[in-house]
Amino acid sequence: MDKFWVVAKREYLERVRSRWFVMMTLFVPVFITAIFLIPAWVTARSASGTASRNIVILDATGTGLGKRVADVLTRDTTAVRASNAAPAPQPQVREVTAASLPAAEDSAMRAVMRPNNLVGYLVLDDSTLSTRRIRYAGRNASSIVDTDKLKSAVRQAFTAVMLQREGVKPETISLISNLSLSMSQTRIDERGKGGSGQAAIFLGVGIGVLLLMSIIFHGQNVLRGVLEEKSTRVAEVVISSIKPEMLLAGKVAGAGAVGLTQQVLWIAISAYLITNFAPLVLKSAGVPISGAGGSGALGVSFGGLTVGLFIVIVLYFLFGFVFYASLLAAAGSMVNTEQDAQQAAMPVMYLLIGSWLFVNSVIVNPTGTIARVLSWLPFSSPIIMPMRMGLSPVPWTSVAGSLAVCALGCVFAIWLAARIYRVGMLMYGKRPSLAEVAKWVRYA
Amino acid sequence: MHDNDLAIDIRGVTKRYEEHVAVRDLSLQVPKGAVYGLLGPNGAGKTTTIRMLLDIIAPDAGSIAIFGRPNHETGLLNRVGYLPEERGLYRKMQVRRVLRFLAELKGLKAGDADKRIDEWLDRFGLKTKDRDWGDSKIDELSRGMQQKVQFIATLIHDPDLVILDEPFSGLDPINAQALKDAVVELKRRGKTVVFSTHVMENAERMCDAVCIVARGEKVLDGQVTEVRSSSGRRNVALALVGNTAARPSENGVGRVLGDTRLVRHFDDNNRYFEIELAPGADAQELLHRLIEAGARIERFELILPSLHQIFIERVGASGVETGMSGHG
Repeated sequence: MDKFWVVAKREYLERVRSRWFVMMTLFVPVFITAIFLIPAWVTARSASGTASRNIVILDATGTGLGKRVADVLTRDTTAVRASNAAPAPQPQVREVTAASLPAAEDSAMRAVMRPNNLVGYLVLDDSTLSTRRIRYAGRNASSIVDTDKLKSAVRQAFTAVMLQREGVKPETISLISNLSLSMSQTRIDERGKGGSGQAAIFLGVGIGVLLLMSIIFHGQNVLRGVLEEKSTRVAEVVISSIKPEMLLAGKVAGAGAVGLTQQVLWIAISAYLITNFAPLVLKSAGVPISGAGGSGALGVSFGGLTVGLFIVIVLYFLFGFVFYASLLAAAGSMVNTEQDAQQAAMPVMYLLIGSWLFVNSVIVNPTGTIARVLSWLPFSSPIIMPMRMGLSPVPWTSVAGSLAVCALGCVFAIWLAARIYRVGMLMYGKRPSLAEVAKWVRYA
Repeated sequence: MHDNDLAIDIRGVTKRYEEHVAVRDLSLQVPKGAVYGLLGPNGAGKTTTIRMLLDIIAPDAGSIAIFGRPNHETGLLNRVGYLPEERGLYRKMQVRRVLRFLAELKGLKAGDADKRIDEWLDRFGLKTKDRDWGDSKIDELSRGMQQKVQFIATLIHDPDLVILDEPFSGLDPINAQALKDAVVELKRRGKTVVFSTHVMENAERMCDAVCIVARGEKVLDGQVTEVRSSSGRRNVALALVGNTAARPSENGVGRVLGDTRLVRHFDDNNRYFEIELAPGADAQELLHRLIEAGARIERFELILPSLHQIFIERVGASGVETGMSGHG
């Protein structure tokens, strides 16, 4: 057992010391933070943007439509802004006649062209009410957010004018125009309400992706490590001091510990970056900051992640990793070159990627037959089950049972891998056929 | 010989691979404190035997004991040092870390290992005032240095039994000399050394006892002096003045050497002839005839046949050829 630790320690230290590990460990959290913050920043920026207000409305309808559009734009509550910022500009409304419209449009265009605050002009001509056509020209004409906002403002104003024509009371109209809805989404499971539905999907898929990536990445590392030992011939010295099974177990354990370390660092660094940079980013986008911190402002919540779920995730990672890494180590021991190794690893990778192909149907229906079957198979449950648990409640008996099946799967994988490994490590020459490998397993 | 005096006791060991038998019913005993040579052509089963000895592969039949205990016993192999024929170390690892790892695998504590590593690096000139190669990666070392590191790895845990598979292959004369010195020192300190080789001269110079294997079977074994004298042959080394490359057949000497009543076989070694006397022939008569024939003799010496001669005679060309394919 001492020698197991010696191997695991070497595996762990050599990998953690490598430049590649340091780079990946730092790069991925930066990447994750960017994925989080850039959309949030873009949204926040466009929401707070006052560009859509800083326009001239040329109203030739003679119905006060332009005035109403201006009102709607001014009232727009999504345009939050920092309290210390200058007061937002009001849209200017120019009521014109159909005849003077071309001249007014011309002067508005010149105004927009000059370097000042005016970004565009909106034209509501005399036929607008019948044809439902409006025109907009401005610097931000290609901004979907701004033009959408403008369109929806006109639609609201339009509705109000139509209602007025139908003789609806002004108070009712004002009530309808000011109507705003907010909907909160809450997930319900047997323990009651918990977390938001969005967060659950995010958590479930996030866990699945993380496990899949770690298993592929660190599993491949094990494969490459075995291949290196074989091709540099150091394997023979090592095997003369330690049983191959123990060597295999130590390698898998060491690499698994590297994987866990990396994940913990990823999560910790990402959380640190997001909480510390989110306020800065959002502030620069003009969003008021409460004391709660950035992640709150982003609406991201890890509320669904309980201690129990966390332990189960770690267990699934370990089982999944041991299962796949052992088989990949066996694949590495069968061959002599990197190219052959990729081929030998294919059947193992098919199992893994194959499980991932069903992720969509699991997300759509976390309690369906596919999801339930996959969470009982040792090669797919490490990815599917944590995801299912994130998405919907799973009875603890199923979790325990599936973990037990995983453990059995691991025992089998280690047994099989050790037999292939024992023979394969000292076989040089051509790549063995499947029949030959089967023979190794029988004779080893 | 008492069992307790044996470092290695292999009895009736057989190892079959699919198409061929690598080792067939092999038995050999290596006394403690001996330098033992495992001789044989490529593919004779030397490496297979060594791997079975080290419990890297399991024999199909037979038993192997090291220091009187079954070789798969836990911790027993910590007393054995092994230098495989194919050398190699973790390329991207620092020399010191590789050595510490391999020492720890042999049950050494990291602290003890570090102290010994420094001693060995110092001794092999890998740690000088100018440069400490121990902090370099294996990759950065020359081939010769890597071989030294590998040799250190073999001996770092001060094993009682040292097994060297083809240790001289790829060594330049200086390193070969250093290796020979190291083996002699190990013996002086009471260690047992087993090495395989197909270079008979090395074996003859260094070994107390040898075992010759071919086609997976033992051809003969025993003390080197016994092996050489037990062949029942008497050989004469003959060197002629000024005759380095001259053809003996062109003069009277040739006729004498061609006389089958006197000479059974002779081998031109360039510097001298190794002559095997015919059964019943008298060395004195040969000397007399040679002088009569006008030979100017520089050396005329009764010698035991060399291991090389015995090897060629006993193993023959066929043993070499069949074995060329597999690993030894």
